[in-house]
Amino acid sequence: MAAQTAKWPFYTPPTVIDVRGLATGYRRAGTGPVVVYLGGLNLWGKWLPFHGALAAKTDLTVPELPGFGEAALPDWLRSVDDAVLHLDDLLAALGISDFHLAGQGLGGWVAARFAVIYPRRLRSLTLISAMGLRVKGSPLYDYFRMTPDEADGILLNGTGGKYQQELDNGDYVEATVRTFKELTAAARMAWNPRYDVRFDRLLERVTAPALVIAPQQDRLVPHSHAERYADLLPSATLRVIEGSDAPTAHLALLQEPARLAALIAEFVVAQEELS
Amino acid sequence: MNELEFYAMHQAAYRWMPHKSVVGQWSRTNFVSLPGDFYDAALAQRAFEDFIEVAKNTERLGFDGIVHSEHHNTPIGISAQAMVTSAYLAAVTERILIAAIGPVLNAYYSPIRLAEEVALVDILSHGRLILGLPMGVGGQYHSYGVTNPALARARFREAQQLLIRAMTEKGPFEFEGEFFHVPYVNLWPRPVQDPHPPIWIPAAGSRETLELCAKNHFTYQVVGGSREVNTRNINLFRELCEKEGYTAPANQVAAVALIHVAETDKQARLEAEAHIGWQMQNFLRSTFQDSFAPGHVSEASLRATALAAGGYRSRDFSETNWDEMIQGNLLAGSPQTVTEKLEEMTTEMHAGRVILMFDHGSTPRWMIDKSLQLFAEEVMPKFRPAGGKPIWARGEDRRRYTTASECAAVTPGPKAVPAATLADGTIVDVRTAHVAELRRPVDL
Repeated sequence: MAAQTAKWPFYTPPTVIDVRGLATGYRRAGTGPVVVYLGGLNLWGKWLPFHGALAAKTDLTVPELPGFGEAALPDWLRSVDDAVLHLDDLLAALGISDFHLAGQGLGGWVAARFAVIYPRRLRSLTLISAMGLRVKGSPLYDYFRMTPDEADGILLNGTGGKYQQELDNGDYVEATVRTFKELTAAARMAWNPRYDVRFDRLLERVTAPALVIAPQQDRLVPHSHAERYADLLPSATLRVIEGSDAPTAHLALLQEPARLAALIAEFVVAQEELS
Repeated sequence: MNELEFYAMHQAAYRWMPHKSVVGQWSRTNFVSLPGDFYDAALAQRAFEDFIEVAKNTERLGFDGIVHSEHHNTPIGISAQAMVTSAYLAAVTERILIAAIGPVLNAYYSPIRLAEEVALVDILSHGRLILGLPMGVGGQYHSYGVTNPALARARFREAQQLLIRAMTEKGPFEFEGEFFHVPYVNLWPRPVQDPHPPIWIPAAGSRETLELCAKNHFTYQVVGGSREVNTRNINLFRELCEKEGYTAPANQVAAVALIHVAETDKQARLEAEAHIGWQMQNFLRSTFQDSFAPGHVSEASLRATALAAGGYRSRDFSETNWDEMIQGNLLAGSPQTVTEKLEEMTTEMHAGRVILMFDHGSTPRWMIDKSLQLFAEEVMPKFRPAGGKPIWARGEDRRRYTTASECAAVTPGPKAVPAATLADGTIVDVRTAHVAELRRPVDL
């Protein structure tokens, strides 16, 4: 597959294992509390400064969701639940059973759904700019129609010029094909509706401590979604990630990698100490 | 000269939309999200009535068929429901074929609903319907609220199977699909044409679509692409037909061309240039993200059509100019010039059917009518058998009957007696129950 030979800044080869017939990649580093982090729509196939900073304080596993990064898009992926069950299979294969789960954007939706289905498996749940909720009158920006020209304004509030290396996806044609595959995977999970109304009732099942992180100005996932998650999760704290020289945006992990990693790590360590 | 069938296409565009240089104030393009503020009810009525009048005129001029399409939630074509429009066209024309290309299967909640509409229009039109089954423009998946583009191809294939089975197999039967589970497929009414109206598939060249056409003897309607790309795809299609064990007849390939005929080449350009430009710049222009809704095409198609040089939308359509187009799929000029170009094009494509776009979205009706008339009188007869008749005037009448007497003569007799139980418990034949001496128990 062409993507396996493609290279771009921050690319690292994933470790690949077979999970019920799907070659599934993951990247794992660090020691400490076991954290599983699920990425969002963007930035797959990279070990970024954010990942490094989080792995400096935790035993961090970053799996590739089906259809994302180098993972093929399997026919069976039809919903967020399929991604949740696949994640469960992957973690079983890796022997990870007691862990902290975190997710950003679409990965946050998968993490929240995992927590609803397996509430007693998690030590904690961290959601960053998480999708998945319906907040009437405050929809997500339509990321399925977002053009490359608009991406900087929506994802990084115009600061993208500073992160050219992080955003570089290599060869244009291969990157276009890969992005199309990833958006297709996202559409399989979240085309219509772009939320899960069951969360309104079911997030109450998530008894693990939860941290809801919102950027200062998220133009993709409105702030009201973070507030709603914090309301619906029984033991949640809402924190806003501050920018050092500009207000943080949807991809705060590019703007404030160390600060975001520290916020998550401190929360995770605190939960370990409490238990 | 090649023998050709002629189908005139009209877009029913609402042309009072902003130019590409200013549309960005309101919407990325005129697709999907142009604000409703631009809609004017009187202008929309005019656009639609112009379309209907042009369609009626094509019959008087002797075209073989009318082609029309459907678009959703966009001014680029306000005939949003191809089957509704077809029913109307059936009523205002007599003999000309009506090619609805077409209803977007994936915009239907169930293909059974479309099967009913097809049957009904086929009956109302006396077997004049041609059914086109396009996948639908990628961008319009944003406004259906029915189908996920990431599942569109699989759902389309299955919907098509169900549609054809519903029209061809006697019900009831159970359909157990991945997307559709219908415990009782039982189509009433059924199409007049046997086994069903001819099916045309507009395709930009994806192999899976060409295979589908080859396997089922569907007409391959060649869409988009440069002439080189189209010729390559048509050659592949013919090979696929050979693999299926037959040689594709010329009329299994329908070429599509923009056209304008005037007294001279110079006059044709003067009349059509701005309208062709309008179409390129406003009608067809959309973003990559809209054209290629996620999963709407396969990776292979994306590489072959969108990203390979010369493929569909490998560059911004709106920058295409007249001189480039005249080298490609635009047939413009005097009747003599157009005759030569048409012969060259259909020879190159081995095409026996041509879909000719006399309407360029913004072309006024008088100008379309003038071009149509010149074409019908000075070009069309050269590509027809002696006598110049359209196909619908050559053979038998497609209608099952034209008078009550014929109906009685051709009906073998009903398979059941229409009967009712009266108050006294007698079951009577309702056809004669109003006559006292004939009101008696009937043998069922």
